[in-house]
Amino acid sequence: MSTASNRIHDAIRESLHEALPQIGDIDFDAALTSDIGLDSVQIMDLVMEIEDRLDISIPIEVLAEVKTLNQLAGKLDPIAVGTPR
Amino acid sequence: MSLFDKFSGLSQARAELGHHGIAPVATPIDDIISASEGIIGGRRVVLAGTNNYLGLTLDPDVIDSARTALEHLGTGTTGSRMANGSYHAHQALEQELADAWGWASAMVFSTGYQANLGSISALAGADDYLLLDSDSHASIYDGAKMSAAQTLVFKHNDPENLDRRLTRLGDDASRALIVVEGLYSMLGDQPPLAEFIEVKRKHKAWLLLDEAHSFGVFGQRGLGLAEQHQAIDGIDFVVGTFSKSLGGIGGFCVSPHPQLELLRLAARPYIFTASPSPAVIAGTRTALAKVLDGQHLRDALWRNIHQLYSALNDMGYRLGSATPGPVAAIILPDRQTALAHWQGLLEAGIYTNLMLPPATPKGLNLLRISLSAAHSEEQIGRIVRAFEGLSLAA
Repeated sequence: MSTASNRIHDAIRESLHEALPQIGDIDFDAALTSDIGLDSVQIMDLVMEIEDRLDISIPIEVLAEVKTLNQLAGKLDPIAVGTPR
Repeated sequence: MSLFDKFSGLSQARAELGHHGIAPVATPIDDIISASEGIIGGRRVVLAGTNNYLGLTLDPDVIDSARTALEHLGTGTTGSRMANGSYHAHQALEQELADAWGWASAMVFSTGYQANLGSISALAGADDYLLLDSDSHASIYDGAKMSAAQTLVFKHNDPENLDRRLTRLGDDASRALIVVEGLYSMLGDQPPLAEFIEVKRKHKAWLLLDEAHSFGVFGQRGLGLAEQHQAIDGIDFVVGTFSKSLGGIGGFCVSPHPQLELLRLAARPYIFTASPSPAVIAGTRTALAKVLDGQHLRDALWRNIHQLYSALNDMGYRLGSATPGPVAAIILPDRQTALAHWQGLLEAGIYTNLMLPPATPKGLNLLRISLSAAHSEEQIGRIVRAFEGLSLAA
């Protein structure tokens, strides 16, 4: 995994733990809605948290095709490359 | 497999809510007695959930204007203003709206929803950015979805969070349209408008203020929160609705920028729909004059607001906003308690709104009350006594 990819996975993990402290181990193949149980408002809150942890901007249009955490991480990879921590 | 399979969750949620008598969603209102009273389930109730802030829906002068237009101009315009003709009264209302703000241009839309959809989708194009407050109304999110711009969301009522997002855009921030609301209708809270304007100016961005729930309520002439804060010159676009304080249906966008006129050629929700009926336009023109000259209505509304907020605070209820306003949102611990409160109030003769996730911010279960200038002191007292009855029963 690249450094950027590690940073993205860490940010997702930390943001999700903050949103759902009871979540325990995180499966990145889990679906945001049906498995993790996030509704659309919670997904938006999660994305805002990740944005600030990585200091990047994530257009909400990017989320249209995202179903799992790994897919979310994949969408963020090109955005986060080269940005400061 | 069916096209309807995807609605199974919604169907189940509706069935669960419908098990307990009168439905809390799309509640049938059998009849209207006055701006503040109606018949639900065969019983007379106080209407405390209809957004009728100034009580103008049954104003005799508004009705007379609408009736005259109905008789002279007919039931509808039967088409789009761009394709099928633009009535004089529609243009006159736009001039009156522009004059109210002292601005260059105003456009009338067929609904408030379409006013946001049309303004936002047309103003922000492919190379532009939309910066939305996370608690924005669905019409704002849908306008963003219809726009070709990239949409970024900032934390609710957090100018510093907006500042960070605009900073990341660098020079592109000058092509960013920030959208905030004058009053958020779920929690009844207001934005820190002066701080948002400061951030907008720092980045040379643009600011659209949706005054749907604040128009008529705030400011000496009822223009909304920007007037209340003497901040009108910091706003680029105000979007509003005719369906709350003005008591009709329709919406508008008004701006100091004369180029707003170009949206008539670009905003699809303006172009490809029928314009409001003549009766609606005539009624709205009379209602607008009453709002601008309606300090006595605002005085009555604010008396009711302070009376109810004070009583709910005394009873220890947790409210969505510490600052009193025309919406009082009571935060309840769970779905069942919220539903029980809604039903208990209805049984006591008070109609309110039940608001549940995911339609609410932060997964909150809310009981929402909208106050009106038309509520009498006795009716506010009935609302308070109904809550006291629930507290005793708990």
